[in-house]
Amino acid sequence: MTTLSKKIISNVVCPFCGSTCDDLEVTVEDGKVLTARSGCSSSSSKFLSCNIERPLTPFIRKDGELREASYEDAVHRSAEILANAKYPVLYGWGSTCNEAVRAGLELTEWVGGVIDNTATFCHGPSLLASQEVGMSTGTLGEAMHQADLIIYWGSNPVHSHPHHIMRYSALSKGRFRSSRKERRMVVVDVRRTDSAKLADQFIQVTPNGDYELLCALRMAVRGDELEQNVVAGVPAERIEELAELMISCEFGVLFFGLGLTASEGRHRNVDVALSLVRDLNARTKFLIFPMRGHFDITGACQVSAWITGFPYGVDMSQGYPRYNPGDTTMIDILARKDCDAAVVIGADAASNFPAKATRNLAKIPVISIDPHSSPTALISEVVFPSSFVGIETGGVIYRMDGVAIMTKPVIPPPPGVHSDVEILQDILSHVKKLKTGQ
Amino acid sequence: MKEIILTIKRGLRLPVVADELSPDKLAGKCVQEIQAIKMWEGNRQLALEDIFRVTEKLNGSEETTIRVVGNASKIRKIGFEMSSGSVLVEGDAGMYVGEDMTGGSILVTGNTGSWTGMQMKGGRIEVKGNTGDYVGAGYRGTDQGMKGGTIMIHGNAGNEAGCWMTSGNIRISGNTGLFPGIHMSNGTILAEGDCVGRAGAQMRGGKVIISGRLPGILPSFAFEEIQEKAKFIDEKILGPFYAFSGDMNENGKGKVSVRVSSNPHLKWCEQYLEV
Amino acid sequence: MYDPLNRIEGEKADISIRDGKVVEGVSDGATIIDASGMIVMPGGVDIHSHIAGAKVNAGRILRPEDHEKDVEKHTSITRAGTGHSIPTTYTTGYRYAKLGYTTVFEPATPLMKTRHTHEELDDTPIVDKGCFPLFGNDWHTIEYLQQGRVEECAAYIAWMLRATKGYAIKIVNPGGVEAWKWGRSLVGLDDRVPNFELTPREIIRGICKVNQLLHLPHTIHVHTNDLAKIGNYQTTIDTMDSVRGLGNENKPSIHITHVQFTGRTGSAWHNVGSGAPEIADYVNKHDHVTVDMGQIVFMNTTTMTADGAFQYMLYQLSGNKWLNSDVEVETGSGVVPYRYRRNNYVNAIQWGIGLELALLIKDPWRVYMTTDHPNGGDFTKYPKIISWLMSRKAREKSLARINRIARNKLDLPDLDREYSFSEIAVVTRAGTAKALGLKEKGHLGVGADADVAVYNIDPRKVDPSRDFRLVRKALKKAAFTIKGGRIVVKNGEMVETPMGRTYWVDSSVSEGLRSKVESDLRTTFTKYYSVQMDNYAMADSELAHSSRINVKADV
Repeated sequence: MTTLSKKIISNVVCPFCGSTCDDLEVTVEDGKVLTARSGCSSSSSKFLSCNIERPLTPFIRKDGELREASYEDAVHRSAEILANAKYPVLYGWGSTCNEAVRAGLELTEWVGGVIDNTATFCHGPSLLASQEVGMSTGTLGEAMHQADLIIYWGSNPVHSHPHHIMRYSALSKGRFRSSRKERRMVVVDVRRTDSAKLADQFIQVTPNGDYELLCALRMAVRGDELEQNVVAGVPAERIEELAELMISCEFGVLFFGLGLTASEGRHRNVDVALSLVRDLNARTKFLIFPMRGHFDITGACQVSAWITGFPYGVDMSQGYPRYNPGDTTMIDILARKDCDAAVVIGADAASNFPAKATRNLAKIPVISIDPHSSPTALISEVVFPSSFVGIETGGVIYRMDGVAIMTKPVIPPPPGVHSDVEILQDILSHVKKLKTGQ
Repeated sequence: MKEIILTIKRGLRLPVVADELSPDKLAGKCVQEIQAIKMWEGNRQLALEDIFRVTEKLNGSEETTIRVVGNASKIRKIGFEMSSGSVLVEGDAGMYVGEDMTGGSILVTGNTGSWTGMQMKGGRIEVKGNTGDYVGAGYRGTDQGMKGGTIMIHGNAGNEAGCWMTSGNIRISGNTGLFPGIHMSNGTILAEGDCVGRAGAQMRGGKVIISGRLPGILPSFAFEEIQEKAKFIDEKILGPFYAFSGDMNENGKGKVSVRVSSNPHLKWCEQYLEV
Repeated sequence: MYDPLNRIEGEKADISIRDGKVVEGVSDGATIIDASGMIVMPGGVDIHSHIAGAKVNAGRILRPEDHEKDVEKHTSITRAGTGHSIPTTYTTGYRYAKLGYTTVFEPATPLMKTRHTHEELDDTPIVDKGCFPLFGNDWHTIEYLQQGRVEECAAYIAWMLRATKGYAIKIVNPGGVEAWKWGRSLVGLDDRVPNFELTPREIIRGICKVNQLLHLPHTIHVHTNDLAKIGNYQTTIDTMDSVRGLGNENKPSIHITHVQFTGRTGSAWHNVGSGAPEIADYVNKHDHVTVDMGQIVFMNTTTMTADGAFQYMLYQLSGNKWLNSDVEVETGSGVVPYRYRRNNYVNAIQWGIGLELALLIKDPWRVYMTTDHPNGGDFTKYPKIISWLMSRKAREKSLARINRIARNKLDLPDLDREYSFSEIAVVTRAGTAKALGLKEKGHLGVGADADVAVYNIDPRKVDPSRDFRLVRKALKKAAFTIKGGRIVVKNGEMVETPMGRTYWVDSSVSEGLRSKVESDLRTTFTKYYSVQMDNYAMADSELAHSSRINVKADV
């Protein structure tokens, strides 16, 4: 890959959302991206704007001000903060690659801290629910080839995962269903979204009423009569119709998103949805898929699980992995002011956390690692600019259904900007020296 | 035996893990040995005396008593695995009070954190103040939660009280959050105040009694009858209560009883009364 | 020393090691390990253990309650981790090393997700490893065989093994997992796969021929159809028989794995019995077959297989939480926690079946000790199973505690055979290494890899039949484990943690055939898969320590 001549690179993997489209065509010249085709607009936006608002040197806070610093000084300062910390939390991980997550896990172990990822905000509830009742799922190609009934529940893929419908569901070309008319698409949401406009049927559920609606659906699937005429704003007849649709399909899939995980009930909304799909497998074939958001959040959870046994919220302060969301998760730790240092990698915590958590985050030394500058950097003690996975550096990422894909760089990173893996490994190496006295 | 008094001697900021703080583990130990017990504060281990001043008093009882004085809201696992004796916390206590306990009693005069009585098998926990989420619950992933014992919360409780409960009794005098009794298979939960909602969700057995307001009953519960009274351990609570059975989606034989006078919006179920 | 491949059976001997290999002799300056009064064997070679990959990790995520109380602390040389039935990767490596095992194979990985399997294997320390990619439900294999295009099928499978860095062909419930994708089941070997024209029998025979054509070091490794059927031993025999005559040079041509699970007689759960005598009889009379036990242990463990249909059935029977994950075009998987109970009639029969198989099959070179970890129990239970094989007394103690009706039904109480240390060495290392075609493993002759297990038990003083508890104790914690010439375990504790290598097989087919098949694949890939073909295959550089085995195909 030369940096000077114009080149077209095909089958590029997109590092944006959990759909992980891998058929992008990127044109580069002089080390810059000219065009990025075949992906959605968010995808080309990411490739084309990767050089906007980028710090190119590390910063360390001195006398209250962030000042440019050398990479070595930033590494040393970070290692000091973490090695001395008594309850540090390392957070983010959803927008990097598996190799970086691995390094982060080892670093967390050495500093006796907690490692948590953005699933805490997103599909952590889905993981919690599946730990109690299991899950019937598959890879996305299953939906593409076989599904004749497709339901999006609390998920607006037109905006969150723009190519999802085209690649994996209603508009995809499968072996056994090759056109839109061979599928029936249903959207369940609190308002008529853009995705709902593409559906054959839209069901509007009262906000925070998903649990009751799913509960009623389970009843109808079992053939039990509903005593209530309306559940969560949906008339009983429509619930029974939807149940009939689900029972009589050949192969159903249910994609769900933040509508379930973030509304009242959270992991219990997912619990009852997983239970519904499990019940349906006694009548027909049905799979359920969480619409994972960040492009490697699935990988981050998987790596965490094979190293520690747990997918997120892992406390290693006592020398071994301990897991209990609500106790070992970032927001809760911050709310209780338990932690005394933090690493935030590839996640803009300051913008996304509740105000109280952000205020508490601002009171402790934070090491932020991100390609872009962000409000989190502004409250940090040490700031590292890093390279973009899938654009300037490679690494393995996992699609939302767990399929592992290798990303490769298409352009070199700006000079002096390191990858997440390098930064973490360098900090770790220095921490080891501090901890072992060598 | 004796009463061991542990007075917290400094402000606590980091999480402290006190899984040795039970009568079983301290019985038979002298003050010096107690002072030397290892505890975790964040990622450092230190001696108990770094956090507590230890004194003791002989009392006439057969059993060992521990009294914790001070703000213990950062201290976790007080009473862990205890089987006898008593623990008194004068103030707030942290998470996991009485985790895995099989006997004895714990009294906390203030509030407790979440997971009070997690995986409890016997004994008694009483909290004068409020508690967090998951009182009397099971650990993540298990289908065998609380197996016995009694938990009494004078104040309010958060969400998912008695999650995956298989036996035992939980009483909440104040208000209760969402999903009390979720996935329970046996045992009794009494919520004397209001409940935010979804009582008895996915239960396979057991009883949930709501004395205050419950906004609605889940579609998977069938109205059975109006009960004159409900029973909590051996106490008869005067109703009347609307009694619902469920969760039908789990082939459940559990019962959710809801006080008639606090829930006029549930009057619709009376149309299903046998005449 | 017990080195059955080189016919050394309990003699005193010295072993010289240099640069990771067993050599003729070393200089006086060499480190001396005094193993007097101890047993020395080649390092253990586990032919079938689910330690890495998508379904294993899905199992880990599913069961926080399984990890909660079994933790491993961080030390300056070892990583933290958790167990219990599904240990994390670092914990897996350390625990195997402490048992004196030095090579482990992950026996079932979906083609599309094998990159994940290798990521986990790369984080599994000490042991050398490899994996078996799954075929037999994948559309390409079925279509090639359906059309009689065996040679092209062989080229396709060679391509896939190279793309996934796989070691051997694994077949699980052939045709049955594809049927499960539509919620259906097949019965026996001659039911047609929905939407395709082929039967399981034709799939197994076709792939067996492919295996011969490709000269792969291991035979086809088969988890038979009908795991969910109550009485299923006949399917096991039919499967073994389906490839009789296809083999060559008196070498085995099929390996049936975890035979215990498909070794039942009966028509209802209350009259289940052991089909071990019938299966053993077939194995004794036909040397084209090798098997492994799949022994169960009474414990709370986790079942996990690519057999989605079976796992659903187990969920229905047990009511436990059920995880299912279908893989497009290729296969499926399922995970269900399960507790084997002594007083449960069926579980007691299952326990008996595994042991009866090992005791009734005469040739230890063709039956291997496994638990199908973690399906029958986790691998740290191996010493217990070994003691059952070596001691009738140990078996009797356990028999006395199992369901009485099951005990009366089993032949096991009457079996008095007891394995010797030499036979144990065969069924846990020499035989498995031979079956896998790993010429430098499973023995301690000159040129072998210096993978050695030293157990603190004196075979001259201890009678394993009587003192089975001493045997268990010694095998649980190796006195020394040496891996590639480096001491990694001393007295059951880790002292060093090097990473092992990953074996995979590259079978080279003729250029013309290769390029034809690859060009056909380009077309079908686009139609079948939801990822691009160029992104599907793994580069050699993706493996941290790649060890490629080259063979030349007959096509």
